[in-house]
Amino acid sequence: MVYFINDIITGALIGLLYSLVAMGFVVIYRASKVFNFAQGELVIIGGFIVWFTTMQAGLSLWLSIPLSLVLAGLVGYAIERIFLTKLIGESVFSMVMVTVGLLILLRGLVLLVFGPAVRPFPIIFPLKPLFLGDMLIPMNLLIGGIITIVAAVGLSWFFNRTRSGLRMTAVAEDHVVASSMGISVKGSIAFAWVLGAILSTIGAMIFLSGKSLTFLASDIGFAALPVALFAGLESIGGLILAGVIIGIVQSLTTNYLDPLIGGSLGSVVPYIIMLAILLIRPTGLFGWRTIERV
Amino acid sequence: MALLLLAPYLVSSRIIAILNMMMISAVIAVGLQICTGYAGQINLGQAAFMGVGAYTASILASKTGLTFLLTIPLAGLSAALFGFLFGLTAARIKGFYLALTTIAAQFLFHFAVLNLPSTWLGGSNGITVPPAELFGLRFVSESSQFYLNFAVTAIMVAGAFGIVRSRFGRAFVAVRDDDVAAGIMGINVAATKANAFLIGAFYAGVGGALWAYLIRFVGVDQFTLFHSIFFVAMIIVGGMGSIVGALIGVFIIRIIQEIIATVGPNIADSVSFLGGDIVFAGMNVVLGGVIALFMILEPKGLMHRWNILKSSYRIWPFPY
Repeated sequence: MVYFINDIITGALIGLLYSLVAMGFVVIYRASKVFNFAQGELVIIGGFIVWFTTMQAGLSLWLSIPLSLVLAGLVGYAIERIFLTKLIGESVFSMVMVTVGLLILLRGLVLLVFGPAVRPFPIIFPLKPLFLGDMLIPMNLLIGGIITIVAAVGLSWFFNRTRSGLRMTAVAEDHVVASSMGISVKGSIAFAWVLGAILSTIGAMIFLSGKSLTFLASDIGFAALPVALFAGLESIGGLILAGVIIGIVQSLTTNYLDPLIGGSLGSVVPYIIMLAILLIRPTGLFGWRTIERV
Repeated sequence: MALLLLAPYLVSSRIIAILNMMMISAVIAVGLQICTGYAGQINLGQAAFMGVGAYTASILASKTGLTFLLTIPLAGLSAALFGFLFGLTAARIKGFYLALTTIAAQFLFHFAVLNLPSTWLGGSNGITVPPAELFGLRFVSESSQFYLNFAVTAIMVAGAFGIVRSRFGRAFVAVRDDDVAAGIMGINVAATKANAFLIGAFYAGVGGALWAYLIRFVGVDQFTLFHSIFFVAMIIVGGMGSIVGALIGVFIIRIIQEIIATVGPNIADSVSFLGGDIVFAGMNVVLGGVIALFMILEPKGLMHRWNILKSSYRIWPFPY
């Protein structure tokens, strides 16, 4: 029983990590109507920036973490400036395809610049797990979960209550209408990408703390995809619930079903949930737009 | 065309090998062109459909010993069935949500191959494929395979020209341009979308079977999301909504790939830490850049440029 509860808690915390990465998707979608397929690559670029500032440049953590976040924001801004600004007014298809192009472009660049070598990632959160009775909870995921919840509440408030947040929501609704209402579409998209890159970097810190870093870590971007869809692409608060549910289901499948069938069903369960969601309720749990059906 | 038939006697075997790859890619890219370019259904799972075809062909060939005359169409059919399943979701959702289900197809394919018992699909070891054989003639050498690939590619591409001019092809274009209007005109929109996936996946399956006979080995790493994106890059470069555009795109992307594969190792000597990954990395950078560039500068592809050039030549010296 203790193990069962422990699996649920660990699963929920991993789910919260997925939520944080998925938040990058949602923030970019909420402020620009672009679905960013390259989210996992942003995570890995964030990871390499953190690795570079701590392990390579030898800065202390207190200095390197803020510096990494600033650098990640700059990367996000640069991507937006180079690729997406020019596509404002084009079809959504073009923008989505550009992010697909970005996915392989960034993957290639990371490989060219950093190579396929495995690198140690700095220990940002204490390695010692938290013991609760017989239960064992990884510290990085616990702190990460708290960060995720704080970020979700903060961003949810920002997008739903503040003036500038609502402006960005208008951009996500329709680029042309938003710009004729005097809202800067460019500014909104730029802000979204900066924020998305920063969130991805935080996700990388939690995910990789004390582990090793290779370009393969970007797979977490696709692992977070089902969470974003389950919540509904527009809902930031809903990500928490969706992440926790998917994390728990995945953890229970991995720990109880996989030994029975002798496969790794756990890794594919989120995608099965995703397909089911897309078929039954494409708007997800909390998405506010009805998707046109034909 | 006739010159192409004589190619094995005219050019070196290296070029024949490249032509073989081009023809197989052409079959798959033409299928993607029908699905994405004509019917407007975003498909990021073409490599998975290709993989289904390749696995079907190699299992049929290695376990039952069927002739390739049967395994290649059956490979197409099994891939078409797999594609149709995902096409059915297209009946309910549209736009980039659809791209997400095709990505899910990619992951499910990967999972199925790696986790089903390894006696079925070979697991992570892959499957070795016996060579194609007809009346005691074995398609082993590059040039004999050239004829096999050429025959199949010619049939498939000719078929594609027919499909896009048939009522199905016109229905695809109507659905792509405006699905509400298409529905009002009496087109069954959901069935049309599912059909588009069925045809696109059939082409991918046939291409996958040819691939299996060419490489004589299939493994799950040959059919990843990255390969799907490479095919998307081909039709974007060539031009959406044009069969000839798909062929041009295949030609250009494969040439780029060959250049990188040739130049890459030389550069790899100077930046030795990359090792063998430089080709994959270089390919990603170039193709990612190409997709982004074309989307920004010429979203309609090279075929569109060519048409502009052609019409301005026709009406010269008048501007229009």
